[in-house]
Amino acid sequence: MKRLNLALLIGLTVGTLALSAGAASLTIGITRIIEHPALDAVEQGVIDALSAAGYEQDVNITYLLTSAQGDVTNAASIAQNYQAQNVDLVVAIATASAQAAAEVFRGSDTPVIYAAVTDPVEAAQLVPSATDPSGNENVTGVSDMIPVAAHLQLLKDLSPDIKRVGIVYNAGEPNSVVLTQMAEAAAPGLGLTIVTATADSTANVPIAAQSLIGRVDAYYVTTDNAVVAAIDSVLAATIEAGVPFMVADPTSLSHATMAAGFDYYDLGLTVGAMVLDVLSGTKPNEIPVTYVTDGQLHLNLDQAAEIGLEFPAVLIEQADAIFYGGELFTK
Amino acid sequence: MVSLLIHAVEQGLAYGIAALGVFLTYRILKFPDLTVDGSFVTGGAVASLLLVQTGIDPFTVLLVAFVAGCCAGLITGLLNTKLGITNLLAGVLTMIMLYSINLRIMGRPNLSLLRATTTSRIVSAAWSPLGNLAILAFIGLLTLAIKLGLDYFLRTELGFALRATGDSEQMITAQGVNVQTMKLLGLALSNGLVALSGALIAQYNGFADVGMGIGTIVTGLAAVIVGSTLIRSSRVELMTLSVLLGAIIYRVAVSLALRYGYVVGFQASDLKLITSLLVIVALVVPYVRERRLRKVPSC
Repeated sequence: MKRLNLALLIGLTVGTLALSAGAASLTIGITRIIEHPALDAVEQGVIDALSAAGYEQDVNITYLLTSAQGDVTNAASIAQNYQAQNVDLVVAIATASAQAAAEVFRGSDTPVIYAAVTDPVEAAQLVPSATDPSGNENVTGVSDMIPVAAHLQLLKDLSPDIKRVGIVYNAGEPNSVVLTQMAEAAAPGLGLTIVTATADSTANVPIAAQSLIGRVDAYYVTTDNAVVAAIDSVLAATIEAGVPFMVADPTSLSHATMAAGFDYYDLGLTVGAMVLDVLSGTKPNEIPVTYVTDGQLHLNLDQAAEIGLEFPAVLIEQADAIFYGGELFTK
Repeated sequence: MVSLLIHAVEQGLAYGIAALGVFLTYRILKFPDLTVDGSFVTGGAVASLLLVQTGIDPFTVLLVAFVAGCCAGLITGLLNTKLGITNLLAGVLTMIMLYSINLRIMGRPNLSLLRATTTSRIVSAAWSPLGNLAILAFIGLLTLAIKLGLDYFLRTELGFALRATGDSEQMITAQGVNVQTMKLLGLALSNGLVALSGALIAQYNGFADVGMGIGTIVTGLAAVIVGSTLIRSSRVELMTLSVLLGAIIYRVAVSLALRYGYVVGFQASDLKLITSLLVIVALVVPYVRERRLRKVPSC
C-alpha cells in the first residue's frame, strides 16, 4: 500500500511538473532565407537575448530553427510548418523569409517579427509605415538599414580629394539595391559621384571590382552578401588602384581600410528585446520599425599604410576601434 | 498536420504546372531545356509587375505570364534551330539572359505582393465556405484544366507531330513536318507553362524574387522521374497525371522533412540533403519491389 502511494505521489508530481512545463512553455519559430554569417549571428543574438531574460531551450521555451537554403518556396513551406505547429511567435530573418511568413500568417494573431530587412516599408511592404505602427496588423520588426549618407561623409572626412566613389553590388539582392539607390541619392549633396559595378554572383565580384580601377577615388561596399563573400577580391582591386576601401560591416574590417556600421549579433539582440516586449503583451501594431543606431567606426592602419594613406585626426578621434599590426584595439 | 499537407499539395499542384512544361521538353521533345530556371521567374516577374502597377485582375495576369514564358522558350528555340547552338547551351544562355531581363521587368530584385490583390486572396474570400480548402480547390481545378488541355493537344494532329519529333526526327521530316517549327512550338508551350506556374507561385508566396527560379529544373525533373516510376504508361493522360503526382510527392517530401526531420536528428542545414534522399527513396522503392516480383537474381 505504501509503495502504491509512493508510486502515485511520484506519478502525480511528474504529471504536474510536465503539465506546468507544458502550460508555461513557449514555442518560437525562427526562419532565415540562407546560412550566412550575418544572418546566423542575428539568430544567435535573438536566442541569447531571450536566454538572458530567463528563457532556456527545452526548459521553458522551444526553438524551431530552419533555413530555406536559398529556396524561396521552401521559405513558404517553413512558415506553413510553423503555422501547423502552432508556434507562439515567428522571427523571420531577411526579406524573402519575412515576406513568406507575413503571407502565411496574414490575418492570424501570431506575431511575426522580421529581422535584417533593409526597407520593410517601400521595398518589402511588410508594414505600411516606418513611424506609425497602427496599421501593422501582426507584423513588426528590426531593419538593418545603414546610414549610407553618413558613411559617404566619412569618406569625405578621410580625404577631400575623394570625388568619385565606386560601389560594387549584386543587383539581385533587394537590400543592396536599396542601399545603392540611397548612396546615389545622397552623393550630389556631398559633392560626390557614384560609379557602380554589378556582380550577379560571388564568382563575378573580382571582375566587377577590377572594372572600377582608375575610375574611382574610393571603394564602398554595403552589406551585400555576394560581394562580402568575395571581399578579398575587392580589397585586391583597391590596392591595385591605390585607393581607400570602406565597408559597412565592422566584421570585415581586416579586409578594408575602414568599416562603419553595426554588428549583426547586436541586431539580433535588438530583435530579441522586441520579442520579449511582444511576449509581455505589447501588440505588433504598437511597435514601429526599429533601427539599430549604435554604429561603430573602425580604422585599419595596416591597410592604410599599404596604400600610403594617413588617417586625419578627426577620424582617429571618432574611431571606436583600430586595427594595427594585425590586432584590434578597442577604445 | 492536415493543414501542412494541404499546403504541400497546393504547392505540388502549382509546381506541377511547371513540371508539365518540363515533361513536354524532357520526355516528349527529348530536349533537355534549362531555360525554365529563368522563365519561371519571368512569369513571376511579369505577374507581379502587372499586379503592382496596373489594375489587371490576377487571373488574366496568369495568361500574360504564359505568353511571356512562350517568348522565353522561343528564344531558346531560335538559338538552337536557327543559329545551331546545342540544346543544353541554348537553354543555359537564355536562362542567363533572363536573369538580367527579369531584373529589368521588376525594376528591382524583389517585388512584394503583400498589399496587392492576388488570386489567393480573391479565391479565399470568394470561396470562403470551403475554408482552408479554397486555395487547394482553385489550384487543383486550374492544374486539372491545364492537364486536360495538354492531353487534348497532344492527341491532335499537331500534338502527334510534336511527339513524333521527339521520337525520330528523320521519320517526321520524311512525313513532311518541319522539325524546327515543332521544336519552337514545344519550347514555347513548355516555358509558357513554367512561367504560368511561376506567376501562380509568386501570388501564392506573396512576392516575386529574382532568385525564385533556382532549382525549377530539378523540381521539374524530380516530378517527371518520380511520377514515371509510379505510373508506367505511354498513354498521354496517364503520363501527365504521373507528372502531377510526382510534383505533389516532391513538395510533400519537403514539408515532411521540415516537420519531422529533427526527430531523426537532422539539422536545419540538412534540408536539401533530406529532400534529395526522399526523392532517391521514391525512385528506389518501386525499382526494388519490381525486381523482387520478377525474382531476377541481383547479380
